[in-house]
Amino acid sequence: MPEWKQEIAKRLAGANLRAEREAEIIEELSNHLQDRYDQLQSEGTAHEEACREVLAELDFTDLRSEVRDTESTASQNFVPAGAAPTGQWFSDFLQDLRYAARMLRKSPGFTAVATLTLALGIGANTAVFTIINTLLLNPLPVDKISELVAISTTQAKMTAQSGEFRLMSLPNIKDLREKTHSFTSLAAHSNPTAITMTDTAEPRRIFVEVVTANYFDTLGIHPFKGRFFVPSEDTTPGAAAVAVLGYAAWQGRFGGAPDILGRTIKLNSTPFTIIGIGSKGFKGVYAVFGPDVWVPSMMADQILPAQQRNAPSDRAMTLFTGIGRLRPGSTLAQARTELSIVATALEKEFPDANQGQAVALRPLTEAAYGPERQPLLFGSTLLMAIVGLVLLMSCSNVANLLLSRASVRRQEIAVRIALGAGRIRLIRQFLTESVLLGLLGGVLGILLGYGGCQFLWSFRPAEFAQNLADLRINVNVFGFAFAVSILTGLLFGILPALRTSRTSVSEVLKEETRAAGRSRNRVSLANTLLAGQVAVSLVLLVVAALVLRSIHREYTIDPGFDTNHLALFMLYPGQAGYNQTRTEQFYKQARERISSVPGISSLSWASNLPLWGRKETGVVIEGQEQRKKSDAISAVVNTVDLTYFSTLGISFVEGRDFTQDDRDISAPMAIINDTMAAKYWPNQDALGKRLRLPRGKDFLQVVGVVKTANYQSLGEAPQSSIYIPLRQNYSDAMILYVRTERDPSTTLAAVQSEIRALDPGLAVEDIRTGAKVIDQALWGAKIGVGLLGVFGLLALGLASVGLYGIMTYSVGQRRREIGVRMALGASEGSVSLLVLRQGMTVVLSGVALGVGLAVLLGRALSHFLYGVTGSDLLSLTAASLILLAAAFLACYLPARNASRVDPLVALREA
Amino acid sequence: MAPTVENEWKKGSAELLILSLLENQPRHGYDIAGLIETRSRGTLHFHVASLYPLLYRLEKRGWILGRWIEKPDQRRRRYYRLTTTGQRVLAVQRRKWQEFAGAVSRVAGVENA
Repeated sequence: MPEWKQEIAKRLAGANLRAEREAEIIEELSNHLQDRYDQLQSEGTAHEEACREVLAELDFTDLRSEVRDTESTASQNFVPAGAAPTGQWFSDFLQDLRYAARMLRKSPGFTAVATLTLALGIGANTAVFTIINTLLLNPLPVDKISELVAISTTQAKMTAQSGEFRLMSLPNIKDLREKTHSFTSLAAHSNPTAITMTDTAEPRRIFVEVVTANYFDTLGIHPFKGRFFVPSEDTTPGAAAVAVLGYAAWQGRFGGAPDILGRTIKLNSTPFTIIGIGSKGFKGVYAVFGPDVWVPSMMADQILPAQQRNAPSDRAMTLFTGIGRLRPGSTLAQARTELSIVATALEKEFPDANQGQAVALRPLTEAAYGPERQPLLFGSTLLMAIVGLVLLMSCSNVANLLLSRASVRRQEIAVRIALGAGRIRLIRQFLTESVLLGLLGGVLGILLGYGGCQFLWSFRPAEFAQNLADLRINVNVFGFAFAVSILTGLLFGILPALRTSRTSVSEVLKEETRAAGRSRNRVSLANTLLAGQVAVSLVLLVVAALVLRSIHREYTIDPGFDTNHLALFMLYPGQAGYNQTRTEQFYKQARERISSVPGISSLSWASNLPLWGRKETGVVIEGQEQRKKSDAISAVVNTVDLTYFSTLGISFVEGRDFTQDDRDISAPMAIINDTMAAKYWPNQDALGKRLRLPRGKDFLQVVGVVKTANYQSLGEAPQSSIYIPLRQNYSDAMILYVRTERDPSTTLAAVQSEIRALDPGLAVEDIRTGAKVIDQALWGAKIGVGLLGVFGLLALGLASVGLYGIMTYSVGQRRREIGVRMALGASEGSVSLLVLRQGMTVVLSGVALGVGLAVLLGRALSHFLYGVTGSDLLSLTAASLILLAAAFLACYLPARNASRVDPLVALREA
Repeated sequence: MAPTVENEWKKGSAELLILSLLENQPRHGYDIAGLIETRSRGTLHFHVASLYPLLYRLEKRGWILGRWIEKPDQRRRRYYRLTTTGQRVLAVQRRKWQEFAGAVSRVAGVENA
């Protein structure tokens, strides 16, 4: 049998194949020849005849030239005409896309770095946009939100308080409904109010809104299950104990029980029948915080605390906001005019309740945030600006990467130009590549953004998680991310594309053009981009540092009461069906039992939560009754029990505390703070003076003056406050303040079990320590600083990577020069210094620019900072040092590499 | 080898023949050559020296893909299969061949079977 392999090898000799490829071909062909030979033999052909016939197969054509021609052609995706869809533009696009995909696949390192860089930028933008989309753009899942308006009360005269929107009484809203024609329907709702729910399990605190029967119809909402209220359920006070459960509450508190309809729940000890489940995602019209359950307004007396009885009929009981749907064709201005006419008539008819009050109309979208609107808008704008900057940095980094890569691809580009590709065609090709990169970054960015949002939202205080708005990832978010990805791709792609497509064919093909001119040009563009990045990341770091310092200062704010070793428990005996006698007895018993718990040094009752005080307007001071309406006195009013001031650590300036002897029958009295004393009795002794509360009948005598504390927010400007004794002013919802000897968390359980022992039906869900009160007050600000910090570090990381990349590139470009310098005797140190100096010059100019920008921005921010000026030296210095350290490292590594250049190798390469 | 009319026709249709044979299953070169010969009842015969360079060319174009496969008690062989691009090309070539053959038949007056 002939040696087939030798025969084949002989014929392939001179084809210049790679050894492995040649061996492969020989093996494959010899297999074939052997098969043929075996077949011929089995057919009975003689050995010689068979060999001759088999070898003839090999010699049919010139095997060597055939194989050589085939093997020497480049592999290609050869698609014949007709296989691609018609349309020149589209087929070009497909070709570009395929080509782009192949280019990206070919350099996985570059693709990964660029995609990740873009994903960080796009992800940050997606996360912030998701939050803005949820809170600002798409606040309420109601029908035609543009037709809806919120109606509230405001002071008639222009004063400092005329911007405040206050609640209205139900009778006033009903009169407005009957006497106006601008609305197709007008409903009313109360604010979310905490109540106690008892079903089979333990009592729990939930939030309720008291609404008129047409509330859901006015909003255009459909029940997820069951039905909403009908008019007959909202005509007779106390008659129809029906409730609509929110979707989230149904899921969260009832596990989405399918047999929920018809079930009875006890709200404040009154049994209510559940008739419907609200639509998914609807949590009331207050976009930030929503109720768990709605009940008809005629059930208000069964639900609201004792001080707010008679809400359906009392014109002075202002607990509601009106919601109107504008009649098609009527404008906001027309409705405003009509309402103000009716309001003037109501003022004349019921002067006691309505004097000095005007009606204010706002689009619901505007009212949906209440007082949080301004900070929310400001925060969103700031965040959007910041993530926009981060995205710009990502773009500039990827643009730099593309520029570096362009020098690698010069050869390829020159060949394409030589083969007749036009500049436009090339630019299109490059842009297809960068947009594809942008989209890759976008896909990863959406994932990062979604994860980031979930992470951020997980910081919501757990006890209210069900009541706070849910993040909505919807078409808007995807559309936004898609648009940003495409724009990003074009943005970072256009400059490199324009520059690269200018490649000169002759220069490149001559291939002796490692001349510095062009690349220096390139480096200077990159340097400008880099200096900008350094400046931006410095600005972000400074802002983060400023806010961090501000929060740190806020933690050290003395709120005017001692938060250490303090715990508080909210209790609503009225909601458990207690009457006044039983409630008063409960306060007394609880006081006695709990003060004997070991580790407790003192305790007291008060109606206000720390930092959640409500201001009341219209305090009257004896002898100053004739004050102008516009100058009405406001004060935070707090009902307190004995030893409140010593328990909270608020000291007396003069006078005395309430005592056992200050009872119902003794002369009514009050304690005020020194701010109020100084403001209304300047240069006089406030002790013994008398004042009257807005809805009070009697004058109260001032028996003591205490130091001013913070009542509504941490670090607020001093405000007036009036304390009245519990024993003279009954309240069925109070907060138990306990001062402990050691860490309060150890005694929480003991106090709780004492209350349970008194009455297992009382909800004691909301328990906080003093430190947690401060934490909660600073919750929003802390999220803010967390975000700023994350974005600042992100920016720093991007700038450092960019710096490192461009320095490495530049060292690579200068290898020859460095080699020459070293050959001529330059030391390693001086070479390192040369490179470092080049890099740090860029960094320093960026830092100078950044400091300037930061000072300007700080001035704009100073309004929102506490205890720190916008040009805080410590923040500026710290941020600059962090940045310089990171930048130094990013420059030092390439510099060290440069000093290790072997002159011999570098020069030989040249 | 003289450039006869038949040879030119064969050249023109060779790609289509190979792609068609690989449409449903991977095959090695000897298998392909044998099938062409038997199915054409001996009319068409591909020699080793032209078959393999053609296979390599198709592989370079990304229409087919060759892989060495070892089976017990056999020599390892290189099997070729059709790629997705190859499938598209095959569809186009088939259609064009039919158009071409139809046109030739109509002009040359050959009766369709």
